[in-house]
Amino acid sequence: MLASIIASGLAVGAVYALIGITYNTMFATSRVMSFTAGQLGMLGGVFGSMFMLRLGLPVLPALALTLICCALIGVVTEIVAVRPVLKSLEQHLYVLTTLALALLIQHTTAMEWSTEPQPFPRLVNFGSGIWDEKYWLPVVVCIATIIGLEYLYRRTLVGRAFVAIAEDNFAARALGLPERNLRMASYALAGAIGALAGFAGGQLLLAFFANGSLLNFYGFIPVALGGLGNNRGAVIGGFVLGLFQQAANFMVGGIFSSVAVFTLFIIVLLAAPQGMFGAQAARRV
Amino acid sequence: MKITRRSLALGGAGLVAGAPLARPALAQNDPIRIGWLAALTGPSSAPAVGFNRGVLFATEAINAAGGVKGRRIEILTRDTQGDPTKAVNATQEMISQLRVHAIWGPTNSGESLAVTAIMARAKMPNIHPCVVDTLIDERRYPNAFRITPSNTQWDDAVRGYCLNRVNARKVAVIGDTTGYGVSAVNASVAGFQRDGAEVVYKANIDATQPDMTPDMLRARNAGAQAIVIWSVSTGMIARMLNTRATMNWDVPFVGHPALSSGEIGSLVERPANWEKVYAIGYRSCSYDAAGNLPPRTADLVRRLQGKVNLQDTLLWWVASAIDAIDLIAKAVDATGSTSNDAIIGNWNSLRNYPGYFGTYSYSPTQHNGFPVEEVVMSAANSARNGAFTLAPGY
Repeated sequence: MLASIIASGLAVGAVYALIGITYNTMFATSRVMSFTAGQLGMLGGVFGSMFMLRLGLPVLPALALTLICCALIGVVTEIVAVRPVLKSLEQHLYVLTTLALALLIQHTTAMEWSTEPQPFPRLVNFGSGIWDEKYWLPVVVCIATIIGLEYLYRRTLVGRAFVAIAEDNFAARALGLPERNLRMASYALAGAIGALAGFAGGQLLLAFFANGSLLNFYGFIPVALGGLGNNRGAVIGGFVLGLFQQAANFMVGGIFSSVAVFTLFIIVLLAAPQGMFGAQAARRV
Repeated sequence: MKITRRSLALGGAGLVAGAPLARPALAQNDPIRIGWLAALTGPSSAPAVGFNRGVLFATEAINAAGGVKGRRIEILTRDTQGDPTKAVNATQEMISQLRVHAIWGPTNSGESLAVTAIMARAKMPNIHPCVVDTLIDERRYPNAFRITPSNTQWDDAVRGYCLNRVNARKVAVIGDTTGYGVSAVNASVAGFQRDGAEVVYKANIDATQPDMTPDMLRARNAGAQAIVIWSVSTGMIARMLNTRATMNWDVPFVGHPALSSGEIGSLVERPANWEKVYAIGYRSCSYDAAGNLPPRTADLVRRLQGKVNLQDTLLWWVASAIDAIDLIAKAVDATGSTSNDAIIGNWNSLRNYPGYFGTYSYSPTQHNGFPVEEVVMSAANSARNGAFTLAPGY
């Protein structure tokens, strides 16, 4: 039982963590919590299944096309739902615009794809039991993603520009950084990360339009637990959430596990409102 | 000619006196208008698409044979998209503007819950295929008749199969977390306990839960000899079947018709994972061990060949819709009237009416007309031409 809890807990936790990183990546350059993050995860599974099972493409071209499609949807999110409301962030209109776009994506998927879960193929066909690829693949992808992002943000010019925009938007613009293009690029990157979550977790979650809202919820918790904008916190928060959720599934059963998860979430936020790894925000007085 | 007050009064009185005489002549040429509330698009459209094929087939057959006492059947369809609000609007339109004589549908319980009281106020003869028990209440809704089994009848059939044919005395009852799943599980558990069986595990699972190992392990550790499923979530069911295979556990799954959905076939990791799964079916639409349908159904299938596609739908959807249109037509034929009271009165007098889908009996105090003994269990993975093979034990 313990092995099952760890295997499936780490797997779903990795998917939640990747969605948390998607939230963070979009937030970093726009200060907007975009509720399309979960839908991008859902689309990763749907596009993957469509390219591989319906169109018969091999894994790598299907993965590339999935990443491109979701990156484009990330860019569309920035143009349609984020850019128009950036000037009035304090009114939090982005909640409405991004939720509306998320619903649009979900309903379009239901109509054009299917309202029933569709199969997602095996990708590398390696492992069985608790070592089945559906358990370890999301974990590997999550670790690779966080390493890749650390490299991007610390070692590349574009990554440093992202960080500059995230830390001080006005100062970065004053230095001549192309803020709008960088924001679009970060949304494209977020789209690709969301797609990776859905693609790597496709065998667990299947290609199902309703996964979007599930991932929106559970992907947000690692962000809150780990601290807004903190990718490493999101990864740890995601794994903790996944393990706790699976343990609760085993101990108290399906319905009550959700109650247990949200109880833990509220307790953590009461104890540390800025998240487990978030810094206290300084306010100019 | 000068029009006087006296001649005007006489003429008016003559018109009033003659009106009742003229009405039957008009009505005899009037088509029989049947409202058809169909969720033809949207997420729950598959049944209505199947029902619609039966509606069109029955209507064409009746009209080609000269109609009912010379009156043609006219179907007035409204696509409700599975949305109760749209169903309410369409029902009101059918009652007050289209002036239909009877309504067939809606095709799902959510819509039906929204429109049943509206139809009852208008005393509109209504026949529907929805399973929720409360939709039939002969005192509050004397106009509403069910052509399919109720949820209780499904429950009785599943319980009977588990106890009498699988000989399982310890069962696990599992549903999803929807309102339907929770209420169906509670009703099922109560039924098993009433019949002296032991419900060793009861659960409602979030249909999107990615790993079903926890629940399946608990059910096995509790000693379950059969797993009873009340859910329409094919993803959840397929995950449970895959988990059963991983656990090398050969416990039978018995329950909701969704167990036989074609989607399950594409979601199980191996075809063998779909063995020993028995879904609710109907005797009229089931193949026997020799692979034959009952003679009356076989005759219908022959008539449907080339006209109605059965490859992507279920035979019972088509057959029950044919029965619904036939029941309305026969009520008009028997009474010579399309009045609400005549149609409802005729239905209330039906005893062992031989439809294609079932043998219906209605009375003023019983509007669940489908006999429970015709609800059977089918081998879930045996779909052929929209029908299934009877489960072992029959």
